[in-house]
Amino acid sequence: MPVLGDPKVSLEEVAFLVLAVVALLTAVAALLVRELVHTILWIAVFFVDISAIYFLLEAPFLGVLQLGVYAGAVTVLLLFGVMLTRKRIFSREAATGLDAVPLALALVTFIFVVTSVGQLPQSNQTVTSYDPSLLSENLFGPFGPWLLLLGLLMMGAVAGSIYLVREGRE
Amino acid sequence: MLDGLYGWAFLVPLFTALSFIIVGLAGTRMRRLEWGGWVAVAFAGASMVVGVLIGVGEMVNPGTYTDVRYTWLHLAPAPGPFPNGFTLVVGTLVDPISSLMLIVVTVVGFLVMLYSIGYMHQDRGLPRYYAEISLFLTAMSGLVLADNLLEFFLFWELVGVCSYFLIGFYYERPSAASAAKEAFIVTRVGDIMFLLGIFIYFWYYSSVAPGWAANGFLFTNGTAPYLVGVLGGNSTTLTVAGIMILGGAAGKSAQFPLHVWLPDAMEGPTTVSALIHAATMVAAGVYLLAVTSLFLGFTSTDQLAIVGVGGFTAFFAATMAVVHPDIKRVIAYSTISQLGYMVMAVGAGFAMVGLFHLFTHAFFKALLFLAAGSVIHAVGTQDLFKMGGLRKSMRLTAAAFAVGGLALAGIPPFAGFWSKDDILSAVYSQLGSHPAYWPFFLLAFAAVFLTAYYIFRAWFLAFSGDHPRDLNLPHAHEGPWTMQVPLVLLSALAIGAGLLIFLPGFQSLLLSGAGATGIPPVYGTTDLVISAVSVTLGLGGIALAWLLWGNGRVYALRATSPAQPVRRLLLNRYYFKVGYDWIGAKGVYTIARAADFFDRFVIDGTVHGFERAFALLSNRLRRIQSGVVSDYAAYVVAGLIALFAILLIVAPYVVARLGGG
Amino acid sequence: MTALPLVGFLALSTALFAVGLFGILTRRNFILILIAIEIAMNAAILNFVYFGAFSNGTGGLTGQTVAVVLIGFAATEVAVGLAILLALNRLKGTINVAQATELKL
Repeated sequence: MPVLGDPKVSLEEVAFLVLAVVALLTAVAALLVRELVHTILWIAVFFVDISAIYFLLEAPFLGVLQLGVYAGAVTVLLLFGVMLTRKRIFSREAATGLDAVPLALALVTFIFVVTSVGQLPQSNQTVTSYDPSLLSENLFGPFGPWLLLLGLLMMGAVAGSIYLVREGRE
Repeated sequence: MLDGLYGWAFLVPLFTALSFIIVGLAGTRMRRLEWGGWVAVAFAGASMVVGVLIGVGEMVNPGTYTDVRYTWLHLAPAPGPFPNGFTLVVGTLVDPISSLMLIVVTVVGFLVMLYSIGYMHQDRGLPRYYAEISLFLTAMSGLVLADNLLEFFLFWELVGVCSYFLIGFYYERPSAASAAKEAFIVTRVGDIMFLLGIFIYFWYYSSVAPGWAANGFLFTNGTAPYLVGVLGGNSTTLTVAGIMILGGAAGKSAQFPLHVWLPDAMEGPTTVSALIHAATMVAAGVYLLAVTSLFLGFTSTDQLAIVGVGGFTAFFAATMAVVHPDIKRVIAYSTISQLGYMVMAVGAGFAMVGLFHLFTHAFFKALLFLAAGSVIHAVGTQDLFKMGGLRKSMRLTAAAFAVGGLALAGIPPFAGFWSKDDILSAVYSQLGSHPAYWPFFLLAFAAVFLTAYYIFRAWFLAFSGDHPRDLNLPHAHEGPWTMQVPLVLLSALAIGAGLLIFLPGFQSLLLSGAGATGIPPVYGTTDLVISAVSVTLGLGGIALAWLLWGNGRVYALRATSPAQPVRRLLLNRYYFKVGYDWIGAKGVYTIARAADFFDRFVIDGTVHGFERAFALLSNRLRRIQSGVVSDYAAYVVAGLIALFAILLIVAPYVVARLGGG
Repeated sequence: MTALPLVGFLALSTALFAVGLFGILTRRNFILILIAIEIAMNAAILNFVYFGAFSNGTGGLTGQTVAVVLIGFAATEVAVGLAILLALNRLKGTINVAQATELKL
């Protein structure tokens, strides 16, 4: 991997490297720590980190969206989930260790994708940036149906969730 | 003038077939059950009229072969074993021997049917009886008229089936049911040999005379027998085929060693015994031998075997008749014995002489059976030692039985004399060239004495003396007119049938069977000597019987007499049945046990093995479904990886294909 | 903007996906499973954005647009997951998925 193949290492590359490592570490940590609330904290950091990567990729709108939706709403949702289902917030309900088979599967997946992609030719593209207004035009224009679909899906999700949690069952 | 009638020969079996259908289907619905019998009699009478007309026509103008054929299977010419096609037919063949048999079958059939009206008077099963007898007459006349070997075999089997039905007519009696089974199974042994014989002929003649099999195994092609001139002399294959045919005939005609079923067949009604087991069905075996010898040919080895079987059986059966107390069984043994004479004649090369004896024998044997039936009908028992003095109350029956006995014993001018002596003369004439025949000839001669003795022993036991030995016997009286008329008619035939030989028409009939060596038309001195000796033996037998049993005497062997073991041996039929039972029990049962073992352990074992294997496999596989979603997700991922792997491997080839193609 | 390594990004997103996959397959706590799903989804969305950023023409716009929509999807899915979590908790009294095995043969 010619990450450091260029004679001069640019700032973006270093930034990317740091962010990547942080992302991986927080993700793994989120899954392996003992306390449930700790994982929530770790995952929040993970989301922020991903958002930073988006900024690095010249997609500011997406970065902000990630912060708002993920680091904001999703994290709070997960926190709600933890609160509503546990009697004691800091009880030990986290995971167990590392099972062999899934680890192997995950590793294999990783290796697969990476090696197959490694056969792609190197390209020296530069990152292009876009004006956010173009983004909104695209979103409400050609991608309008997607938006509609998303709306419908959300509506369905709301209805379904309400049904799932209603009282009087069983 | 009567030539046109030959085309209608199929009416003979057809009438009785109609009777079978009508009585079989509608018999139980008739207002009175006896009407079924009258229907059957009517059809049998019609059959008889046609049959006799045809027979008479043949006698007037013998030597006419007529065929009416219907093709029921035809394979078009094709490359292979039958390049010119393959055809199977049914048809009728009217020639001297078949018309002779036809007269016998239809006349005796009609008379027995008439007699049955008076003899059988039970409430249940009567329509079944008449239907089965009609079917039997159909089968028998079909057999006689068959124009090819396969059709012959077809009717042969049908005759066997009818015999099974009729022997087992009183099926509620276990002895009757088992006798029917025994008859069928023993004749089956013969039938299989017959079938093998047909196969061997087919295989043998497919190279020598391929047209024969391809055209349906015909006996004749219209003018001359099909295979005359194609005989292979002393070929081993033909000899084996001949032995097979002999086996079939021995089964049907109850010759040694397949004779065991006939005495037990007396479990059926007496009329059945008269028709089937005296006059017609058992004669089919002799007819088969005659037809084979005239149309297919026997090698000299075969002939020796046939003469041996016939002569030996003639003597062997007579010995067993000497001691038996059951009137029907005595007559049954005498049937076996007389059939032996016929077989011997055919074996010696005189098929027509054998058939002549068959002709006369049919009449006087049926007469004997019907007379015995009259006695049984009157006194309700078949045990000779309970009867006695019946000549006073049953004059007609006594006379009829006496006529039959004299015919059987071969006393002139009764019918049996002419035919039996012809056989003896015929065999004697062959003794010069076939010295191996001597012991059998002597056995046949000895049997003459025994025959006269045992039949008159029966007569004296039943009819002589003053009163029955068993005082509880019901008072005897003659049967109704339907029983008496056949007795009278058959007595006339038993006297007159032999004298037919002096009719030139009949002589030429006997002489003209294809390839036949005929009866000696002129009696030389040797023949007269033979006749004299046989008559003397006959009279001697009668005299001995009178000495021992006449006037109500009972000759009982002393308990310590050295002849006692002999008597037991004879009464037990030389323990033949015991022997066969033992073979069946040990041999067949062992095979059955082995087959059962194989079936249970090997075959069932395999099936159960599959069962267990599948159960095991499914048990193991069941654990995949753990209910834990993570596991399922793991399976999905694993599958996905496998898919990717395959794609990775296959991809270069696809690319190359797309790129190149 | 200089060229950023292609393979490096892909390695990152693939690694994140693998981590998420591992979490889905191993963890017995339902909330953790949800979190793992989120990690995997984020990896996928990152992929979209990344490829979009490195294509010329309208490709890049498409990448970002799709990413927006997908973020919406992912959030929705978390909400529904939460509802399922609550239902599971009420039904079983636990959030241990190893105890929800009614579909076992």
